[in-house]
Amino acid sequence: MASLANRAQIHFKHQALTGAQITLLCLFAWGCQILAVQIHSPIPGSVIGLGILLLLLASKLLPESSINLGSSWLIGDLLLFFIPPVVAVIKYQDLLEHYGAVLIGSMLIASSCVLLGTAFTVDRLFKFERKQRLRKHLASSKAQVIPLHPVAQNHDERKAA
Amino acid sequence: MNHSVIGALCLALTLAGYYASKALYRRQRKVWFAPIIIAPVIIVTVVISLNISVSDYFSYTHWLAALLAPATIAFAVPIYRERQLIKQYPLTLSLGVLTGLVLGVGSSWLLTLVTNMPSQLSHSLMVRSVSTPFAIEATGAFGGIPELTAMLVLLTGIMGMLICEPLFKVAKIRSSVAKGVALGASAHGAGAAKASEIGRQEGVIASLTMIFTGIAMVLSAPLFAALLK
Repeated sequence: MASLANRAQIHFKHQALTGAQITLLCLFAWGCQILAVQIHSPIPGSVIGLGILLLLLASKLLPESSINLGSSWLIGDLLLFFIPPVVAVIKYQDLLEHYGAVLIGSMLIASSCVLLGTAFTVDRLFKFERKQRLRKHLASSKAQVIPLHPVAQNHDERKAA
Repeated sequence: MNHSVIGALCLALTLAGYYASKALYRRQRKVWFAPIIIAPVIIVTVVISLNISVSDYFSYTHWLAALLAPATIAFAVPIYRERQLIKQYPLTLSLGVLTGLVLGVGSSWLLTLVTNMPSQLSHSLMVRSVSTPFAIEATGAFGGIPELTAMLVLLTGIMGMLICEPLFKVAKIRSSVAKGVALGASAHGAGAAKASEIGRQEGVIASLTMIFTGIAMVLSAPLFAALLK
């Protein structure tokens, strides 16, 4: 029983902490939006906020753990937040009924082009950049005794093979 | 019935529809049961069949949409967390983002040239390849309408998720970086979710690409809009 109560307490603490972090992020977002309006910024407040938060994290002024839970919840449930604007599209029901088929057909073709074009370009770029890294790595490993293999790179080479 | 009661019920319906579709997907891991498809379908069907007006629907649910801004800011955390990966492949990621962005806007622009759509629709199409919070911010520069944009973004995401695997197979795309960047740049959140089903690294790369493409879209939308006028 004691462990059950304990677990419930930990669960509650986790929820409260997540809630507090979300509130903090909301207040910060609100502040950034006000700032963007005040300074007539062409960049929206949310993107300014993203930049500021990244600077705070990179400069270690704000530890990652202090917004970890809140940011994971906000990003994980992003779909929930854009359902309302999607539902509001019923205002344009006639327009969509009329152009729906054309829209879906042409978007399918366009999306395939974006997907393939990007994948091909990145495939070439990645091979080039990996070769550069390996060359640099070989040159420096002659000087150093212990070669360092980044995990991501090994993982990728195995997959590509 | 009172308007604010209807509004509150709509908020309850949206939350219930969303969490129910998430629970359904945990049991039925089929692509057609993905919350991104099921949740909007359920909620739109109920709203249309009960003849609820958009203003009633939006009276409380706009608070949910307001969370898009803090969610955008929260994207700083994954960027910071994956800084090692970004430092490893700066060229691949940045040029990948640029390619995806230019192809995304370019393909939408060509599409509007050949199909003769009304301007409300064609202007809202331009930002369809980036994540919703960024797309809604950027669509104004092209003269797009936020609601139409949100729906076209959603459709683009679903399409990318459905067509990626056969396309990768036919085009013999095997490296996880290429798959991740392509999915993140062309199908944003839905693509990133699909990518993390393919593999952990694909998922991380797709999420990063999605965030960077979104930021780049918001920053460059006025430029694109001026070029394509």
